[in-house]
Amino acid sequence: MDATTLNTNPQMRRPMRWDQPLDPNMSDSTVEQLMRTDPFAQMDPDSFRAQTPLRGILKNDCQIHHLQQGDIIVREGDYGGSAFFILEGKARVSLKQLPPEILGRQTPRKQGWLEAFVQGFRNSKHPEVRDYSRKTQTSTEFNQRQEGSTTRVFLQDIPRVIPLNQSVSLVAGELFGEISALTRTPRSATVVADSEIKLLEIRWQGIREFMKQNEVMRDHITDLYRENSLRSHLREMELLNHVSADAMDRLVQTTGFESFGKFQWNQKFESTLKKDIAERILSEPVIAEQGTYVNGIILIRNGFARISRNHGQGHQTIGYASKGKMFGLRELAHTWKTGQPTPWLLSLRAVGYVDILRIPAREVEDLILPSLPESKMPPPIANPNLSGEKRRHARPKSMDRGLMEFLVERRLINGTKAMMIDLDRCTRCDDCVRACASTHNNNPRFNRQGPIHDHWMISQACMHCLDPVCMIGCPTGAIARDPESGNVSINDTTCIGCSTCANSCPYNNIQMVSINNPQGQPIHDTDTGQPIVKATKCDFCESHAGGPACQRACPHDALVRIDLSTPQSVTQWSQR
Amino acid sequence: MSRAAAPEFTKRRIRNLTITLASTVLLLTVFYSQNQSLGHASFTSGYLLYGTLLFLTLLNLRKRLSFLPAIGSAKFWMQVHIYVGLATFAIFASHVGWRIPNGKLEVFLAALYLIVAFSGVYGLYATRVYPKRLTRIGTEVIFERIPQLRNQLALHARQLVIETCESSDVLAKFYTSRLCYFFEQQPALAYLVHPSSRTRKKLIHEMEDLDRYLGTDQRQVREKLTQMVHQKDDLDYHQALQGRLKIWLFVHIGLTYSLLLVGLLHGILAHAFSGGPS
Repeated sequence: MDATTLNTNPQMRRPMRWDQPLDPNMSDSTVEQLMRTDPFAQMDPDSFRAQTPLRGILKNDCQIHHLQQGDIIVREGDYGGSAFFILEGKARVSLKQLPPEILGRQTPRKQGWLEAFVQGFRNSKHPEVRDYSRKTQTSTEFNQRQEGSTTRVFLQDIPRVIPLNQSVSLVAGELFGEISALTRTPRSATVVADSEIKLLEIRWQGIREFMKQNEVMRDHITDLYRENSLRSHLREMELLNHVSADAMDRLVQTTGFESFGKFQWNQKFESTLKKDIAERILSEPVIAEQGTYVNGIILIRNGFARISRNHGQGHQTIGYASKGKMFGLRELAHTWKTGQPTPWLLSLRAVGYVDILRIPAREVEDLILPSLPESKMPPPIANPNLSGEKRRHARPKSMDRGLMEFLVERRLINGTKAMMIDLDRCTRCDDCVRACASTHNNNPRFNRQGPIHDHWMISQACMHCLDPVCMIGCPTGAIARDPESGNVSINDTTCIGCSTCANSCPYNNIQMVSINNPQGQPIHDTDTGQPIVKATKCDFCESHAGGPACQRACPHDALVRIDLSTPQSVTQWSQR
Repeated sequence: MSRAAAPEFTKRRIRNLTITLASTVLLLTVFYSQNQSLGHASFTSGYLLYGTLLFLTLLNLRKRLSFLPAIGSAKFWMQVHIYVGLATFAIFASHVGWRIPNGKLEVFLAALYLIVAFSGVYGLYATRVYPKRLTRIGTEVIFERIPQLRNQLALHARQLVIETCESSDVLAKFYTSRLCYFFEQQPALAYLVHPSSRTRKKLIHEMEDLDRYLGTDQRQVREKLTQMVHQKDDLDYHQALQGRLKIWLFVHIGLTYSLLLVGLLHGILAHAFSGGPS
């Protein structure tokens, strides 16, 4: 900060929630029209809070789309933060999984040894060469059309691609996509416009407001969630393996669903990093606070949470938890066994955006703990007042605190296949970069640079995140996650170079590159004369049978592709 | 930060050393018994040594064929390279009869082998020690970008000094006489061979001595320049150490090919004269 800045008194208007409406062109007359349409006509505007009036939600959290028959509205597997309400026309939901090529995605295919050998010697000497004269993986059903500044993908022969007996029709007045938007989970089905259709897109913040203020909508969404998603989530919990069917029904009805933090946390990530660490921790929404009453078991459904404890005047990070992790069982079990109320031993705070399920304490004590075998019971809580007491349960190896803080602060715990380099062993030979380039037509797909803590570097290579914010908003579905491997990859053929993914990635791991023809000449758009750009990133060598070339190429055992979302794997590797 | 013990690496080291030692003892026993039974152990050890050297070059080939699947990890190949390389010392000693070879070609060949082998040992030391020294600097630099970063730094330093010229020429004079060369030139050969913080410390000390002649604004510039001297010194240190890590490999690989060629010639001559005078 220079002296000039110090001497001035910088001021700005406090940012407000609706500073950036979903559609800046949404007019008041359209809002009035919507107000006369069901279900909004049925809603009482006075029941909404003054800060978030009904008209305000419609104006700022909604957008109207006019789509043609065949336009894809949502694709199975995509992430998105909006639900859709059909105003006019009809849509078709495919009950069968559509081939990836139709949706503009790439099917991962493993190269054979001979193919890899030939390709290795045929790598281009020019950067970012694309040969569009060769056959591509795009299906004949995959089509794009331009609508203003947005690109729409459409299907031509809907009855053939989505047969009637394998689809469900949606008509005016129906809402879809809300569970995926609210729970930040992949879309469970592909929905296509079955006629000319007028859709109201409602972003998740708007849906949440509607749910708060409108009983019908709240009940509708909650019932859907409880029946379709919650039951299966609870069934997956090992803890609930022993509860009866009746108990499970009660748990489905009583388990609460809560969200903490900002859905689009990636947008303010850079500025968050500039804050003082103590201030940053305090600004994180508290899910459970050390020393307060334990009101239930918390199960993390999505996102990440910081586990911390009070230390002096601040909070010390002692762990982190991601999807599937449970919190609070130890305290409740102790209370249940000893009759002594035990408060939260640690705090849990949302890092970014977190969805949780909360099973109320009463249900835990009545339904879960009595049926839980002794072997599954958590270890007892040692009495901190007895200093000489020996621990009956050995503490597992724990990660270095500094490294843990570093991973949490920078939200690197999002990475499931992050590139971690031990700089004390790395000779900076760049064999990893060369190996990456040789497997990608002489184009390295990562930078051997990145944030460093002590002698650990998290390199700028796609981490194939648990919460892939890069996948939100891709207009053609070119960026997608492989359901089997979990790899996030970009279909080069269907990428239109809009940079949405690159701008969304909070770790700067996606690069936009200008492409060249095999002779090394830049390829330009025939209409505008502008260079054609494509999004590129690490694909985890998914087409190579041997796995990631970077890791295999490191002769000094300095580089690993590692799951940072699980502290155990980091601990194990860092304490070799 | 306290460093935990490395059980995995220790286990690996013990296992590999045990295998290497056992194999070496077995080979030496075979050579010894062959000599005792009036066989030609020198041919056996010669072929084995040459074959081993050829095998050791496979690591470099592995690095060049990274795009191929199922050829084993470079980590595995490196471990094999290190321990097989260490075993060649014993095979070589046995081959030359545990004495200094006679004959000009043999001496030349032995010298080549020893240079290659000891450059390998140096490489092992360098790759274990220098990375830690580089990490301690705290900044990470890509070797190929060092000249570009140095130029940027020099340009920035010059601009900073030019901006202070209007009020006083103290910094400008010091820059011209002492800093200009430091910022704009590559590090001296002596520094590359033996990098030290002497120049940096001396310059910083001299700059701090200038403070009594400088106003508040100029002192801020001097502080920035001091930081930049640190940055330039870090760049030079990176260049020296990363350069060493690259040069030793260049020497090691380059001489290996000479060794293989001379070794081949030695083998042909050994066979040609193996029967002795008729």
